[in-house]
Amino acid sequence: MLMNFDKLGAWRWILSGICALMALFLLLPILFIVALSFGNSRWLIFPPPGWTLKWYGELFADPRWLQAAFTSAKIAAIVMVLSVAIGLLASLALVRGRFRGRAVLRGFFLTPMVLPVVIIAVALYAAFLRLGLNGTLVGFVIAHLIVALPFAIITISGALETFDPSIEDAAILCGASPWEARFRVTLPAISHGLFSAAIFSFLISWDEVVLAIFMASPTLQTLPVKVWTTLRQDLTPVIAAASTLLVLLTVVLMIAAALIRKGKSR
Amino acid sequence: MLSFLTPARRGSGLGMAMPALLLLLAFFVIPVAGLLSRSVTEPVAGLQNYETLLGSATYLRIFFNTFLVSGLVTLITALIAFPVAWALAIMPSRVAAVVFAIILLSMWTNLLARTYAWMVLLQQTGLVNRILMATGIIDQPVQLTNNLVGVTIGMVYIMLPFMILPLYGVIKKIDPAILQAAALCGATKGQALRRVLLPLATPGIASGALMVFVMSLGYFVTPSLLGGTANMMVAELIVQQVQSLLNWGMGGAAAFILLVVTLALYALQLRLFEGRAR
Amino acid sequence: MTSPYLHINGIRKTFGDVVATDHVELEIGEGEFMTFLGPSGSGKSTTLYILAGFQDPTAGDIRLRGKSILQTPSHKRNIGMVFQRYTLFPHLSVGENVAFPLRVRRASQAEIATKVKRALSLVRLDGFEDRMPANMSGGQQQRVALARALVYDPPVLLMDEPLSALDKKLREEIQYEIRRIHQQTGVTILYVTHDQEEALRLSDRIAVFNRGRIEQVGTGPELYASPATHFVADFIGDSAFLTGELAEVKNGRATLRYADGTVLTDVPMHGVGARGGKAELMLRPERIDLSDAAGPQGASLPVTIEDVTFLGNNSAVTARTGWGDPLYIRLNFGHPMMGSVSRGDRLHVRWQPQDAHAFTKE
Repeated sequence: MLMNFDKLGAWRWILSGICALMALFLLLPILFIVALSFGNSRWLIFPPPGWTLKWYGELFADPRWLQAAFTSAKIAAIVMVLSVAIGLLASLALVRGRFRGRAVLRGFFLTPMVLPVVIIAVALYAAFLRLGLNGTLVGFVIAHLIVALPFAIITISGALETFDPSIEDAAILCGASPWEARFRVTLPAISHGLFSAAIFSFLISWDEVVLAIFMASPTLQTLPVKVWTTLRQDLTPVIAAASTLLVLLTVVLMIAAALIRKGKSR
Repeated sequence: MLSFLTPARRGSGLGMAMPALLLLLAFFVIPVAGLLSRSVTEPVAGLQNYETLLGSATYLRIFFNTFLVSGLVTLITALIAFPVAWALAIMPSRVAAVVFAIILLSMWTNLLARTYAWMVLLQQTGLVNRILMATGIIDQPVQLTNNLVGVTIGMVYIMLPFMILPLYGVIKKIDPAILQAAALCGATKGQALRRVLLPLATPGIASGALMVFVMSLGYFVTPSLLGGTANMMVAELIVQQVQSLLNWGMGGAAAFILLVVTLALYALQLRLFEGRAR
Repeated sequence: MTSPYLHINGIRKTFGDVVATDHVELEIGEGEFMTFLGPSGSGKSTTLYILAGFQDPTAGDIRLRGKSILQTPSHKRNIGMVFQRYTLFPHLSVGENVAFPLRVRRASQAEIATKVKRALSLVRLDGFEDRMPANMSGGQQQRVALARALVYDPPVLLMDEPLSALDKKLREEIQYEIRRIHQQTGVTILYVTHDQEEALRLSDRIAVFNRGRIEQVGTGPELYASPATHFVADFIGDSAFLTGELAEVKNGRATLRYADGTVLTDVPMHGVGARGGKAELMLRPERIDLSDAAGPQGASLPVTIEDVTFLGNNSAVTARTGWGDPLYIRLNFGHPMMGSVSRGDRLHVRWQPQDAHAFTKE
């Protein structure tokens, strides 16, 4: 009985063992950088000979790190808002619309997700060279919007498909105008989908490297670009400190998401 | 599903798709088409860029590297992911939740942070080399970065969740009673695995494998940080041609080849798995 | 003394604090069709799973031809089983599904070919070898499952509510098939169901499960005519219960007294009852007669008619006893009272003494 854990006999230990090794393989590198960020060895010796906070000091002393983080947050926030708004309209069209070629349009909307980002990055870089958008906030936002939008559309149209439009009809029969019904009934009903889409869009922009490398200029760069350029010079422990803060952010977001899910199921 | 009260006018709803449509046309379709067209117009009109790409051992080596690494990464992740997904599907849910949390944590941790960890772990004086020397497996530090070994390790690390999660979905849906039936029919665990569980999990393995393979083909960050310039993959070639050499024709041609292979595999994926699901 | 063919010996299974089955004790003869009947959660499926080896009992033993099978893993028990859900291997054709048990036993190609053909013929699916399970109806899938479970001649065939996913008409059709296959093969069958009609139609004997225990074992007519407990009486056939005070118990015969002074004597009594305790009289609606005149003492009650509903071949009559309990009576078409009885009539119900049973009420 291969689908009954208690009846697997010796196989149970083999499977558990592989699972545990895989979990360690995924987890240890992350714990490793966290440890290094507090180690006092510039040459990243592990285990570190002593402990220090000086890499965090260096990180916060360099205004370029903070500035990059601020730029990242700003771009990610704008991308989040635009991606949810445009994604919501597109999803309404895809799920509720009545026009030919909806399936084709859906496939088209999702292609930026499938294509290697490198191709999009190089193509946009060339286009932005002509439009003078490289190194601008607008350029960053457009680039990240292109790759975030498919995820927003998938998430929101998924939520819309499970929502019965006759409830909207009921609201209209109660006297609401069609747009009022949409705002007061449909939007609250798919709020979890909108929320997930917002988080996805924010994180995609916040973590995005390849497009950002092309869009960046010496005066405007995001956090991943700053990490990237630093990494190419040397493996300084300052990056470990920056990475640790990013891991911390991930953990906080995961716990928040878990709490929201728990709150919703109650 | 259609609302009764909002009349089903033909073409209704198209307007709402416009912002997304225009955005993608202006900043996705036209730029990509522009890039591809430059492959046959620069420096002069013709197919000479493709001839150079497919005719020189240096460039063929890059394509070979790309397929080799993607294939290896796919194979290794599949071999690890199958037992893991299987275990996750039947484990006590509390234990499984812990493993899932680790998978998600690794997935959501910044890509550069994860790659940085492997750059440090795999360097000459890194932890991996020191452990291998301490256990007597090797006498001299081995080169693990700036070559395809490092790229493969780093990519397996990144791709594992993309294989485990879909495979888990497929295995979780298998009715345990089917495997109970196999046992009562007289099948030993090995026979039930080979003749029932593996065939039933194959759609998940195939779809996960295709996804990992396609993603690996166009990957840029990990290969360029862990692989070094001597062991380029296609994505790095495109960037190098465009950024360092300003050779838009060659860059466009390489991008076109990558795009065709990617879309072909994607279409295969849709044909194989979407059709069955409906 | 010879040991029974299959002996379920004091099986007890607990999940944490929950007792799934308790002291399940049953002997089954070779070739017998035994049904486990009971509501969901009564322990009938747990008992079957323990037989199949999917679960291990907390205590007790199961012996087949005198030998315990508990230490044998499922795949070596050689037992056949048809499940509630469709469990055909979806990636294999019908022929390969039926061949599966033979292939894992490394049978020869020739043997596989003849046995598969014979098994499919047994379930009347000749020529279906190359079909895929997904392209078959639920009834056909369950027949393939039956062929797969029988192809290796198992000593015992377990069936866990195999028809519950099918509609009524199809269910009856396959019940008939199962009976025929049982007669044709002579295989020992343990059948689990919550449907009393199905149990009565199929089985040689029925074990009635309730709350993890067997309440009574017997043939269908035995269970209907002399139920041992309130639960069995209620579960098999229709029944009415009239609760009163136990005035006397002597030699398994009870005297019951009701609120309006009615006294019924000489009723067969089941269970231990103390004088002054509560007891209930069980009557079958179709075994009660309606008449102008009172019957012998202990087998007759005065009632007032409340409602009469004509249902074609019979009429359902609702009456009320002198102390206010409702009582349902079924009058067959052609009964002399059928046309005349109407609301408000004061009449007498009468029954044969052996048709009434008294149970202690907890």
